[in-house]
Amino acid sequence: MKAKNIAKNIVSLKWVTIVIVLALSIFLGSQLKDLKVNADILQSLPNDDTHAKLLKSIAENFGGNNMGVVILETDNIYQTKVLEQVQAITDSLVEMKGISSVSSLTNIIQIKGGDDGIEVGTLVDEYELPKDVNDLENLKKDVMSNEMYRGNIVSEDGTSTLIIFTLENNADVSLVAANVIDITKKIETTEKLYYTGSPMLVSSISNLMRKDLTTLLPIAFILIALILYLSFRSITGVVLPLLTAAISIIWSLGIMSLLEYKMSMISNNIPIILLAIGSSYAIHVINRINQQEVIGDKKNISMALSMVLVPVLLASITTGIGFISFIFGAYLEMIVEFGMFTTLGTAIACFLSLFFVPATIEIIGSYKSNKNYKTEKKSFVLNKVLTHIISVLFKHSKKIVITWVIVLCISIVGIFSIERKVDIQEYFKKDNPTRQAEAIMVDNFGGTKPVFVLFKGNVKSPEVLKKMIETSEYMEKSPDIYTSMSVATLVSEINFAISGNPEIPDDIEKIEQLWFLIDGNETLNRLVNEELTEGIIISKFKSPDNDSKKIFAEYMNDFVSNNSTPSCQIEITGMPFVDITMDRSLIRSQLGSIVIALIFMILIVGIFLRSWVFGILASVPIVASIIILFGIMGLTGISLNIATVLVASVALGIGIDYSIHIISQFKQGMKLNGKVEWAIENAINISGKAIIINVISVTTGFLVLLFSEMVPLQYFGLLIGISMLSSGLGALTFLPAILILLDKRNNKNQFNQ
Amino acid sequence: MMNFIKYGTLLLFLFCNTKILIGQNAEELLQTMDELIAAPKDKEASIKMIMTNSSGKQKIREAKMLQKGMYKRMYRYTKPEDKVGMATLSLPGGIMWLYMPSYKNPIKITLFSKSQAFTGTDFSHEDMSGIPYSERYSPKLLNSDLDDTYLLELLPKIKRANYSKILIYIDKTYKYPIKMKLYNKSKRHSKDATYAFEKKQNYWYAKEVFMTTIKSQHSTRIILTDVKFDQNLNDDEFTVEKLKQ
Repeated sequence: MKAKNIAKNIVSLKWVTIVIVLALSIFLGSQLKDLKVNADILQSLPNDDTHAKLLKSIAENFGGNNMGVVILETDNIYQTKVLEQVQAITDSLVEMKGISSVSSLTNIIQIKGGDDGIEVGTLVDEYELPKDVNDLENLKKDVMSNEMYRGNIVSEDGTSTLIIFTLENNADVSLVAANVIDITKKIETTEKLYYTGSPMLVSSISNLMRKDLTTLLPIAFILIALILYLSFRSITGVVLPLLTAAISIIWSLGIMSLLEYKMSMISNNIPIILLAIGSSYAIHVINRINQQEVIGDKKNISMALSMVLVPVLLASITTGIGFISFIFGAYLEMIVEFGMFTTLGTAIACFLSLFFVPATIEIIGSYKSNKNYKTEKKSFVLNKVLTHIISVLFKHSKKIVITWVIVLCISIVGIFSIERKVDIQEYFKKDNPTRQAEAIMVDNFGGTKPVFVLFKGNVKSPEVLKKMIETSEYMEKSPDIYTSMSVATLVSEINFAISGNPEIPDDIEKIEQLWFLIDGNETLNRLVNEELTEGIIISKFKSPDNDSKKIFAEYMNDFVSNNSTPSCQIEITGMPFVDITMDRSLIRSQLGSIVIALIFMILIVGIFLRSWVFGILASVPIVASIIILFGIMGLTGISLNIATVLVASVALGIGIDYSIHIISQFKQGMKLNGKVEWAIENAINISGKAIIINVISVTTGFLVLLFSEMVPLQYFGLLIGISMLSSGLGALTFLPAILILLDKRNNKNQFNQ
Repeated sequence: MMNFIKYGTLLLFLFCNTKILIGQNAEELLQTMDELIAAPKDKEASIKMIMTNSSGKQKIREAKMLQKGMYKRMYRYTKPEDKVGMATLSLPGGIMWLYMPSYKNPIKITLFSKSQAFTGTDFSHEDMSGIPYSERYSPKLLNSDLDDTYLLELLPKIKRANYSKILIYIDKTYKYPIKMKLYNKSKRHSKDATYAFEKKQNYWYAKEVFMTTIKSQHSTRIILTDVKFDQNLNDDEFTVEKLKQ
């Protein structure tokens, strides 16, 4: 079927389209209330990665992912008023629904050996907190002399202390996190409080995401509306693109909710991206309808639609390919989900632009001749810009290409300086309390990145317990491991208190009897499983540096492979290990998704336009803009992370649209006239305006992300904005200049022949 | 005016006296309950502790118990296998001795915090201490919502009391506790205890106590069997040396 017939049918089905769109929007819109937010990176780790799988299973079985921390910072912890505040916080957390255990300076257990037996109690007398200087000094001595407290509960410099709480398995993480903040703030401590640990972090990111969505999206809508009004000077020209975008967002997120997917810190970008894409397709359709009327073909919407049908369809397929590439190349499931729903959103936006927009225009019939005149008059500036571009193009096509080549060379140099960062700290602004909390944890408590060593065997056997101690001692030799904790530590401490011997007893009966003293202790659930066939060493890794993580992984992997036996199997995992894989995957998935996307784009553009040369030419501006993008990242020190890794493919998908519009109009022009110069001028005149409007509106939409609460999203917005500008500029200057030079060369060859 | 003063004084007198009487009744009632619990000179029994977690998983411990008066108590563990031979001896003054056969010598354990759980159970060391409630708490009589019971509200009179409040339902006829609601330091209802009393050899004793920690839904059931009273247990039975045997 020819494009004209398809367009005619689309217009004739206008009422059906409107009713379907309305019904689906109401239905899917009603699903939005059930859309949940999940900012937990751990849940997004792939199940086919050994380290990620083990980390998830340990987090599930030993509650490692359920630990939250309140940090109390002051000038000196060893003061009665500070201890009172710690006790007040501890007592209120103990009572809180969803929290299973709390451990702090005021309730932590102390087992002391003496001449007369052992003393079992709490480090601090819960009924009578130390008041005089001597008591406080003794407390300090007790803390400093025991690794269980020093650097674990109280910082070595005595300026901060931790109140660590564990969530119940089925607790509502966000609710508990909110209640923790609420209740601790009500205590009105005079000291500074910070919150960290997985539940608090996840909840904090979720809140930032909600804040971003509710503040940035409306701002982006308003800004794009303003740009559209300045461009089209008609209500329809503003409302329709925005409506298309809004419906695309509603449908995509509605389906997301319907399929029980959760909004992640990556899919948080979807609304902004769809706002850009959705409005962009509609802009091209409206622009073409507008131009059709200008050339005198009034009210013939189907004619305009038939002309814009292929470029819009092509643009949406190529954009979709950019997003689909995430589905196959990404390490994190949240990136795969992002790929799925942005692809879906792109398809929806394309459908709405080609069906809903013309149907609405046809029904409203608002495009009247008087408005066209007005529009064209007010678009005088844009037309002048286009005329200027055309004249420069023909006069200086060589210089334009050379300038682009120079810029590209500089960018290629920059690419080699790109840094990769997978640290969660990077997500928060420097003044964000969560980032400050992370910093305190790194400086005073050995970091927050968990490291787990899993031991499979009889946990009560001397062999396993001794191996745990040996592993701990080996691990602690690493400069990035501050302390470690295992059931073996507890057993050896009690053995020391009773017998004065800090070693693990050789006799299994002794161990079984020592167990009597720790049986039922809540800490035990975090260190061994119920069947006592598995036990873990819990530790924290300090450095955010990738090389340090690699050195540590190598150091530990050697130990694990040399010491694992059938009766004591050892495995190691933790965030440093996952970070290494994630870091590797950043490059792999980045390259993978770009290459996949590029090949498919060239293929599809080539097939649609029935010319491989056009396919390759259409990709030139976008390849150039991606090189510039990476160059800027390298030269300005913007790191490649789980958010910025998306930029290239997103930019590729959206940015190639500009080239597609130019190249397809160029092809149509060549068909009509056969002259390259005329075809280029025609293509720029027809698509140039839409491209400029589009670049400005899309860039503005993405630049709104600069106000995001999350740092990678700020960079994401900035980089996409830069890519849109460069790919738009590439489509309007680089591509036509190449076409002109190619034409000149062909003419020269023909002349020579 | 004179009449008003007369009746007013009379009313005030009656009101104050009623309060004193109620207070006295409550004290007496609690003391009666304490005396009933502590009535036997000594006690010997087999004890079974069933600990059940929120998912229904159980751990069982069994021991032989000897008790003399209120403050001397010995548990000698018979089950599970890895606890066989272990024994604890509680003596007046919060002193506890633990014997682990592999360590040869008994170890003195000084418990500084009696709010801590008694080795994996839902009972705190204070719950297991046997110290009369009347020594630790001041009672107040309330209207009971359970038939045939008195309801006492106990508030701590010592600083180191484990609970901020205890509500005890006491059987009207025999004066033994039927049910307790225990409130933690933050004044939250934290545990429930139910008692099944039985009479043997003129003594009432709790043949079964069931304690549930409300928040964790962890529970401990203590069942007493083969109970014998007044066996004239000698003080020598409650010595550190005896722990080893």
